[in-house]
Amino acid sequence: MHNVVREQRLADLRERIATIERRPLLGEGMALPGDRTGAGGQRNAVLKAPPGLLHEVFADEQRNAGAALGFALGLARPLLTPARPAILVLQLGHETEEAGLPYGPGLSSFGFDPAQLILGRLNNPAELLWAVEEAIACRAVAAVVAEVLVAPKALDFTNSRRLALRAASSGASVLLVRYGQVRESSAARLRWRISPAASQAPPFDARAPGGARFQVVLEKGRLGTGLLEAGIEFLLDWTADGFQPAQGGEAAGGRRDRSRPAVHGAPSAALGDGLSQAG
Amino acid sequence: MALHLPRWATDCLRRAEPSIAALSVPFALYERQKGAMRLVELDERARAAGLFETQSLSDARAVCPTLEVREIDRPFIEAAFAEFADWHSYASPIVSVLDHAAAYGDLGLDITGASHLFGGEAQMLGKVTERLETLGIAVTGAVADTLGAAWALAHFNPAGVIEGGLADVLAPLPVAALRLEGAQVDGLVQMGLKRIGDLYGRDRRALAARFGASLILRLDQALGDIEERLEPRLPPPDFFVERRFADPIALLDDVLLTAHDLALRLSSDLERAGLGAQSFHLFLYRVDHKVMTLTVKAGRATRDPAHISRLFAHRAERLGGEYDAGFGIDMIRLAASTTSGLGEVQVGAFETKDGTADLDRLYDRMASRLGPEAISRIKFVDTHIPERAMRLEPAIAPTPSRPEAAPNPNLPRPLRLLPRPEAIGVIMAEVPDGPPRGMIWRRVRYDFRKASGPERIAAEWWTSADLVESSRGLAAPPDNAVLFDAGAVTRDYFVVEDDGGRRFWLFREGYYRPENEPCWFMHGFFA
Repeated sequence: MHNVVREQRLADLRERIATIERRPLLGEGMALPGDRTGAGGQRNAVLKAPPGLLHEVFADEQRNAGAALGFALGLARPLLTPARPAILVLQLGHETEEAGLPYGPGLSSFGFDPAQLILGRLNNPAELLWAVEEAIACRAVAAVVAEVLVAPKALDFTNSRRLALRAASSGASVLLVRYGQVRESSAARLRWRISPAASQAPPFDARAPGGARFQVVLEKGRLGTGLLEAGIEFLLDWTADGFQPAQGGEAAGGRRDRSRPAVHGAPSAALGDGLSQAG
Repeated sequence: MALHLPRWATDCLRRAEPSIAALSVPFALYERQKGAMRLVELDERARAAGLFETQSLSDARAVCPTLEVREIDRPFIEAAFAEFADWHSYASPIVSVLDHAAAYGDLGLDITGASHLFGGEAQMLGKVTERLETLGIAVTGAVADTLGAAWALAHFNPAGVIEGGLADVLAPLPVAALRLEGAQVDGLVQMGLKRIGDLYGRDRRALAARFGASLILRLDQALGDIEERLEPRLPPPDFFVERRFADPIALLDDVLLTAHDLALRLSSDLERAGLGAQSFHLFLYRVDHKVMTLTVKAGRATRDPAHISRLFAHRAERLGGEYDAGFGIDMIRLAASTTSGLGEVQVGAFETKDGTADLDRLYDRMASRLGPEAISRIKFVDTHIPERAMRLEPAIAPTPSRPEAAPNPNLPRPLRLLPRPEAIGVIMAEVPDGPPRGMIWRRVRYDFRKASGPERIAAEWWTSADLVESSRGLAAPPDNAVLFDAGAVTRDYFVVEDDGGRRFWLFREGYYRPENEPCWFMHGFFA
């Protein structure tokens, strides 16, 4: 008799914990279509990383620079709050010739108010690192996106560890956008590998390119149990509400394993480790 | 106060070049004038040997066989004199080069309200000239109520300080002391008017008619009937504080510590006036008569001493190897300009947490360490031409420009734009004026799967290209690049997607014509 009550209470508590834990990050919406619309009729965005982390966003080749910057900005946008209204995008000045400058009108079609973004063009990697550190020390900066086309020597483990610690103590995220297939040891909490994916054609025009779609692999670290563990490949669309799992159509590019669903159909109860503690 | 340096040209070369300083023979500078080489500057030994200006070089060599000569480098000497003049602002903030007679050699200092710092006008004059003489620079100086009188006395009768009774003092001086032109002096001497005193009481209208109105003007200026103002070389700052050192200092750290102390004093001065400033200048006066200037700018008016000194610390870091204290720095002045009203601000426990103020400070620090152009805001420009639709404005611009309306976000615009469109080779489609099937860009081939367009962007015939402010900080294009005239051609833009899902923004230059090969350019990348 007594045992039954205890077990019921235990089950109740377990359920409550599961609810708390699954709340943060990877949308419940994926497994439960009914939950996708949030309170304001908006879809809950997936992939909301907590603030104060050092990310590395890798793209295989420099010609994927558009996708890499887009993904990094997409990760940074949910971090904007009234108290932290700015994102800094830092590049090396001579590399903008090759990779292009973030373009104001393009940013506003991507969903940013360009007043939220500050561009920095630095002369050398040492200045870049200094600028990143200085920027995350400021309590009004939400995130710093720093891009290097060619990995500089200065960006070694020691420096990445320092950036990770500074980011954790200040609460501003750092997103290092890098290129190539070589991975050095770094203290980044999360490492993403990004490539562009064939977009879904807009309605009424099958031959036109659609919105931004990313093929994302989390190579290191994890966000939530089950779903976003290292090594799983999934497709994300960038929408006005943030990242959404890719929907229907000819979703995948050539290389992708079509047998796998776009996002692992894990049960939502399995979601969520201590994302709230991740920062 | 007027200072006259009769042998500046030779003195400054002597200081600049050790080989000249080591000479023990007469030294002179010559200049080619109408095909002849004539002496223009002599040192004291050459003068003692009986040489004189405008003497031809061969005559001079005959008189004095050991004479050492160089050709005169006027721009160098004038620049050295300008620097030398700036250095004199250690004595008084208003210093000017008096170029009435020659482009170098005469300095004017407005010492009103500054002489008491030296213990009086005579002491000040003594200190200033003594300092130059120990440097090996010949100098004569005079202090008088008017600049004209001081100039005249410095040149012709260096009598020290004259107070009142200018007319009597000037009367025995030759008319050349009035800063007149050569022809005017010759004319006056011809008429027997050799001294300034001879001009007193003459019919002014007759004098003006015969010798020009400038004679009367100079006479009145010298006697103080007409006020004459110095045009300072360095704009006089609204607020400044300074510190002199008994012994010269050289270490950058010491300089920065002093800057911090000065910032504290400046800040209380500004607070008393209810002002904040946006630019701060640190003048370092070196012992060897040079001035180093460090300038930092703030995005919003400030008077926070910690912030100001941190900006200077960052600025000094950017200085790197350029910092050269020479033989030491014996005075530092911190000046504030571009002041504007700044009310009292609550700091400490009841401080309002203002994120934008934090950001402004961050941009100030970054700009002082990395240069003002390094950190910029995105500003829209109301134009259809894509590369002109965005402008980068320094984040610390003192007056941010009025924001223009954002462009239509429904138009396809890339996330990154190449600073200059790059020429590409295209594989054309079946439809001649349609989108291409593929391209070769940076020697890599891309096959397109999807495309949309064209979006036609016509040239803006109503603006000429040179009226448009181009975005800053871009290097000059390489010579062999295929260029197009941004303001002159119509462009057809296409959004294309290749088999890997990369989305590019391409355009064809001009209208499609069957007879000529169209030029294609790559302009941007979508996410």
